[in-house]
Amino acid sequence: MGHLIGKEYCLDHLVDVAKSIVLAIHKAPQITGKTKIEAEIIWGEDLEPIIEVMGPVGKVMRYVQWDYETIKKCYEKGESPVIINIGAKVSKSNLNWNCGACGHDTCKEFNAYSKDYKGGGQMGGPSCNWKILDWTMACDWACASAWQHRVDNRIMGSLGFAMRALGFLPDMDVNIGLALGPPRDMVYYNREEMHKSMSYEMDKQDIVNCVPTMFTAFPGGGTPMYKTKDYWWAPPEFMGIGYSEEAMELYQQVLFEEVPEIVAKHADKIEARYKNKKK
Amino acid sequence: MKKYTEDLDFQGEEYISDWPSWSPQDIRRKKCALESARLMVDAAMTAPCAGGVPSIEAHIVYGQEELEAVARKVEEIAHTQESWKEPFLYEAVMVRDSDVIIFLGNTRCHETPLDAGCGLCGGTLDCGYFYEQKTQKYGLVDITDRSSKRMIDGPLCTARVGDLGYAVGSALWTAATLMVDARPFASMGMAGQKMGYCPKSGMVVGVPLAAKAKNPYVDVNVDYHLINMDKVLDNTRKIYQTARIIRGFDYRKWIPKPKKPDEEDV
Repeated sequence: MGHLIGKEYCLDHLVDVAKSIVLAIHKAPQITGKTKIEAEIIWGEDLEPIIEVMGPVGKVMRYVQWDYETIKKCYEKGESPVIINIGAKVSKSNLNWNCGACGHDTCKEFNAYSKDYKGGGQMGGPSCNWKILDWTMACDWACASAWQHRVDNRIMGSLGFAMRALGFLPDMDVNIGLALGPPRDMVYYNREEMHKSMSYEMDKQDIVNCVPTMFTAFPGGGTPMYKTKDYWWAPPEFMGIGYSEEAMELYQQVLFEEVPEIVAKHADKIEARYKNKKK
Repeated sequence: MKKYTEDLDFQGEEYISDWPSWSPQDIRRKKCALESARLMVDAAMTAPCAGGVPSIEAHIVYGQEELEAVARKVEEIAHTQESWKEPFLYEAVMVRDSDVIIFLGNTRCHETPLDAGCGLCGGTLDCGYFYEQKTQKYGLVDITDRSSKRMIDGPLCTARVGDLGYAVGSALWTAATLMVDARPFASMGMAGQKMGYCPKSGMVVGVPLAAKAKNPYVDVNVDYHLINMDKVLDNTRKIYQTARIIRGFDYRKWIPKPKKPDEEDV
């Protein structure tokens, strides 16, 4: 006997769905058969540090801003997404294939290089490309499994960056996050959560910045005008290319000051979780 | 009206069996696998990718001569490196045992990288690791010199390679959904790339598939390149004929019969 109604039990069930998806991650075929993959499931209050890190990064990366706002607003509404963090060991090759895909003649050379540069990139790296293929196949199986469960989902590098900065899955070299739920259509596509959070002008300016070709007037003179307003010819507007101190300063401030500050607040607690698991 | 006439002609029968190999009934079975391969490519093409950027191309290859050529290329590559030798020779056998091979490649990983400064390729905070090793002008990579001393002309944009992984994953997921056996292989990918399949790609993965009683890609024995179904059958042809001619009789006049048990033995 029983009676279930509403969405709360669906939100609870998301965690069970996530467990099934982790099974698919570990079942995914590999090319090398030698890539170590780990996954963990995070939801509720444990999302708070992740959301906190994504906030400042969103200031310099628009796609991170959208991921941040979507997840944050869902969480604040009491509809916590469930995140699966998928990591892999990819920075050391145990293949001895010497294929050259990484840019080195031999796996031995790659391993020597990797020892010096390991973890230097925003998303990790250096990487053995065959191991990256193994990892991304597992990530794809996670997405496919989520779709088969009819749960709205999106695989997000933004989540991967935040979780990596915070020290989630510390033994892994690369991470990416799969956001699941809440139980609605198009949470992470079309993004209702972000309605009214951007103006028409902001949207249009993004397109001008990103696809200037669409707005270029007759280029025959060599210095074309740009058609960014209805009366674009009076007064004319032109584009320039140059170093942006403002953009770079903000970028550096976010990456090397704001993010580390947030990480420092949470790192011990997150680190302790893995230490306790190992005991 | 023509369409209506054709619709009235909707009748027929298709006998399907996996034996003998390459018989009409076996080829009909292979055609079913080919349909699966096309659906797998559909899935690969719509797999998640960074920024929604199209970068995947596919080649579907089938037919006795075509698969034999791939198998021989895999064998050729196997002998270029000790670490490849045994596994790749085993995998050449799997090529011959396949119904269809899908090659999936990424057209951007060597030429038009993501340019997101993710660092996955070289562990740096920008795309310098990639560009410094390429012939390029203002970020436009010149790929016209296609000679390379390496099997794969790296470095590659690892984010794009990741997109290829998603495509291969989706193809394999679809195979699993359709209950068709399929596995991803580096050996077949490299062979396919060298043969000119997926001609615009910097990295290629081979995904053979088969719809047979026994999955060709698992449960192999040692020395699989020497001991496999083709070789077993050929050895049967070799041994059995000789076994027949070491003795003989005119079956129209006399056929040897088992000895009747003596009454004492009963």
